[in-house]
Amino acid sequence: MKKFKIQNSGFKLIPGVVTFLFLLLVSSTVFAHKVSVYAYAEDGKVFAEGYFSDGTRTRNSLIEVFDAKTGKKLLEGKTDNDGKFSFKIPKVTSLKLVLHASMGHRNDYTLDEEEVKEAMGIQESGVRSQESGVKGRKTESKLQSTAPLTANSGVSSSEIEAIVGRTIDRKLQPVITILLKLQENSEKPGITEILGGIGYIIGLMGLVMYFKSRR
Amino acid sequence: MHISEGVLSAPVLVTGALLAAGGVAIGLKKMDYEKIPEVAVLSSAFFVASLIHVPIGPSSVHLILNGLLGILLGWMAFPSILVALTLHAVLFQFGGLTSLGVNTVTMATPGVIAYYLFNMPIRKGNNIVSAVSGFAAGVTGVGIGAILVAIALISTGESFLGVAKLIVVAHIPVMVIEGIITAFCVIFLKKVKPEILEVGK
Repeated sequence: MKKFKIQNSGFKLIPGVVTFLFLLLVSSTVFAHKVSVYAYAEDGKVFAEGYFSDGTRTRNSLIEVFDAKTGKKLLEGKTDNDGKFSFKIPKVTSLKLVLHASMGHRNDYTLDEEEVKEAMGIQESGVRSQESGVKGRKTESKLQSTAPLTANSGVSSSEIEAIVGRTIDRKLQPVITILLKLQENSEKPGITEILGGIGYIIGLMGLVMYFKSRR
Repeated sequence: MHISEGVLSAPVLVTGALLAAGGVAIGLKKMDYEKIPEVAVLSSAFFVASLIHVPIGPSSVHLILNGLLGILLGWMAFPSILVALTLHAVLFQFGGLTSLGVNTVTMATPGVIAYYLFNMPIRKGNNIVSAVSGFAAGVTGVGIGAILVAIALISTGESFLGVAKLIVVAHIPVMVIEGIITAFCVIFLKKVKPEILEVGK
């Protein structure tokens, strides 16, 4: 089977070379071993990021989005130069993102339905409060129950929601950045793992020597 | 050059696993008692080398050292590399357990080829011949490795063709670095401990 494929590849050499040159121009060539993808939903959109185990971003890599329940492909897109890719939530369901980086690297990440629902809820409130010229953010049904109280003070509940939402978002931005960094770092191999691995090899060596010496 | 889990199709994975098992069996058979520590040390070297990133241009490159392992170990490079790759998969999630066989074959086979081509000239030749052969062994290790990875990727689907071509050319800088490192190692070992170059049997 392999032989056939090799000949086949020779036959398609010219388009192959063109593709290669194109890829060489547009894509980053990274030799790390593992690729990771992470995503979060906000404001009716999903923000995804892909990176290699050494922290390099996966530029120009294909991300496919699937409905995690039915396995149906919903959409696909490419990451930008920062390894980022965002899209409008196509469907309220659990979303599975599959990242295809170059050279046989692949990984996926699944967004919970809860998170998607929450992000969609935000968008709805955004539409509602757009009349007041304010882009709505995070809403909680609890906040709505306070509406009669705020009505007395002359400020509409949606405005308060919007203000609070925006403030929270601003305050949380660094925290989210830190969380993303942490997530990224936790994927890098640490010294414990490296030394542990060498330990395993030494142990294995001892084991093999032990059995060989008894023969 | 670790191929991730879920990329290759089942026939490729099975073929890889069978070939790897064969290589490992030959390697274990050839392994003498005195050679075991060397196999382990080089396994550790291979294990750690993949973590050393050499920044070159816009990309980041890591060492592989499979050419060096091949020259020093011959067929024993198979068990040595299998152990290191298993630990990569388990500890770092590099590659994957199902693609272990394919990855072992793509990394160890070039080593064995380098052994048959360059072990003799390194041992018998003068310093210049040894250095050149060492360099060639390093280049062979990465180069043939890249080609094998490309074949594994091509045989899973046409869409990989472009990427597979990319992988070969993209590894040219690694080949040069590996060649230089292997040449230095070989010269050093030949001076300090020439018997290590004897693979035996």
